[in-house]
Amino acid sequence: MTGISVENIAKRFGDVAALKGVALDVAPGEFVSLVGPSGCGKTTLMRIIAGLEMPDAGTVRIAERDVTGLRAADRDVAMVFQSYALYPHLTARQNMAVPLVMRRLNGWQRIPFLGARLPGTRNIVANIADEILRTAQMLSIEALLDRRPGQLSGGQRQRVALGRAIVRRPKAFLLDEPLSNLDASLRVQTRKEIVELHRRVGASTVYVTHDQTEAMTMSDRVAVMMAGEILQIDPPERIYGDPADLRVAAFVGSPSINVFDASVETGGRVAVDGYATGLATRASGRVVFAVRPEDLAPDQRVGMPARVEHIEFLGESLLLHARHARTGTAMIARLDGRERGAFAVGHDLLLRPDTARAFLFESGGKRLRAERMAQSAAEPVHG
Amino acid sequence: MADAAIHRVAATAAVRAPIGEAAAAWLLTAPAIVAFVLMLLVPTIAVCLLALTDFELGVPTFQFVGLDNFAELMRDRNFAIPVRNTAFFVALVAPLSILMGLVLALLIEANPRGRTFFRAAFFLPVVSLMVAMATAWQYLLHPTIGPVNAILRDLGLATPNWLGSSEWALISIGLISIWENAGFNMVLIMAGLTAIPRELYAAAEIDGARSAWARLRLVTWPLLGPTMLFVVLITTIRAIRTFDTVAALTQGGPNKASELIVYTIYREGFTYLRMGYASAMTVVFLAVVLGLMALQTRLIERRTHYG
Repeated sequence: MTGISVENIAKRFGDVAALKGVALDVAPGEFVSLVGPSGCGKTTLMRIIAGLEMPDAGTVRIAERDVTGLRAADRDVAMVFQSYALYPHLTARQNMAVPLVMRRLNGWQRIPFLGARLPGTRNIVANIADEILRTAQMLSIEALLDRRPGQLSGGQRQRVALGRAIVRRPKAFLLDEPLSNLDASLRVQTRKEIVELHRRVGASTVYVTHDQTEAMTMSDRVAVMMAGEILQIDPPERIYGDPADLRVAAFVGSPSINVFDASVETGGRVAVDGYATGLATRASGRVVFAVRPEDLAPDQRVGMPARVEHIEFLGESLLLHARHARTGTAMIARLDGRERGAFAVGHDLLLRPDTARAFLFESGGKRLRAERMAQSAAEPVHG
Repeated sequence: MADAAIHRVAATAAVRAPIGEAAAAWLLTAPAIVAFVLMLLVPTIAVCLLALTDFELGVPTFQFVGLDNFAELMRDRNFAIPVRNTAFFVALVAPLSILMGLVLALLIEANPRGRTFFRAAFFLPVVSLMVAMATAWQYLLHPTIGPVNAILRDLGLATPNWLGSSEWALISIGLISIWENAGFNMVLIMAGLTAIPRELYAAAEIDGARSAWARLRLVTWPLLGPTMLFVVLITTIRAIRTFDTVAALTQGGPNKASELIVYTIYREGFTYLRMGYASAMTVVFLAVVLGLMALQTRLIERRTHYG
């Protein structure tokens, strides 16, 4: 049983391959984020699921039904647009009524004045009014129902757009960067509200965003997209803690993961400019050694030589911007904010990666399963 | 000490700034004000004053005659006919040319292929010289050698004397005006169409607006409101002031059947040289046009204001 399922979707715009064989399954009631930099194809994929764009190849299924050939109006999807796309000449109530009116009344019944006199119209219209009111209560926008979009603030418009989407209880719910036009504080609040709303409505949801924080905090699973491909689909903690690709590791996390050129030496030992990382691999030649800022710490005895270039104090934590003494590679270490006095710009020190939490990648970016060397196994593992 | 200096600077700035700003504002708006006064205000006032005199071109003296010109106007059958003609003409030309412009714009926008060609083709009547185009129309509508009547004859239909008969002359002028204005309206409406956000159509599709008609009613028509207000106003004005087609093709004939107000004013003023009387006509004409504009703006704005 799946909510939304796309298989092998390909789409070209002229010479540009926007999507290169993408597959994605969203379980009923699941919340999946599509996250990636702009131009990675995430919006195209969403528009294909919605039926606003036709794929060159592949199939789209919604609630077990093949909808690939169907137009958007005939798929049971609702969408919230980045610009909200509210009808400016209609009140919030009328905006929310549109999807219901379009689906439940036929062309004759929609004719102004005349339609209202046709049999059955009155009942349907009364039901629609009821449902709008109930949805509005859920979003606490009852007081705004008779205003036009021009009289609403950005956040209020966004709620009305959400209301228009959920009022008809769709099987699939698509959100295209719905928070990007809100200011920072409102964004954090709305994030929470959308998740709660999703829990109550229970529709399969695809959420497109370029903001990794939104993706990580809201989703059951996150799909990281780059250059027309989904690199990894996993729960947020695995996206962060077990990235399948260097690009995923680099995209998720702030500040970005530290990346070092490394070489594989005898016995498969991985070294960064002579520093034995304690990891080993069966691969050979050049590899990439990556460690998150919080897994890099100053050490008295061993580590990579670095010079402190800049210190950012964030209160609870401290970002130490440093540069490798020989290779010049930039690195960032996240330390406890209470250690603030211990460092100064220009200091030389040794930065030691936590081997247990470091990753190895092929030079092409794919994750390498590393083995930890016996020597590092003896070291205490930091929680 | 430094404090005092700062206060002094602040004080002078505070005193000088408003004067400087006001002067600069007047200076900057002066060209527009001068142009407005010289080109619009003075001629309009002059016409209003002339309307109160018996001024005739070439006659050295003239007298103030009060409202006599207007009194004459009320009784003048030669003025009643063009007023009626103009009303009929506007009622024919404005709605049809707007409808045609809308249909053309929607059709051209619906399929981007050949868009530039069709846009240019239908806009051609606007940029071409009407007097020159009139020659072409005179040939096309010629009762015996014209292609229009040739086709009608082949189809076994009646072949009216388009420009020469009193039943058809005004309608013919009207059809030519529709042809001319439709292209103009099309370009205006196309500009309005491109301003409608694409996402609204996507939203309409998702909301279940299956047919083109449903999307037209839900999105295109309401969002075209402000554009249509402008189109209705400009088309009405253009229709009311139609002159060149009449002057080139029928000279108001036969028997005043195709005479429109502006042509009557022209004839009173420049053929009979009765400037005072022509001015009175102009004042009435101006008042009617302004009233009409005010009414339309009020009516339509109430329905297109989205707040």
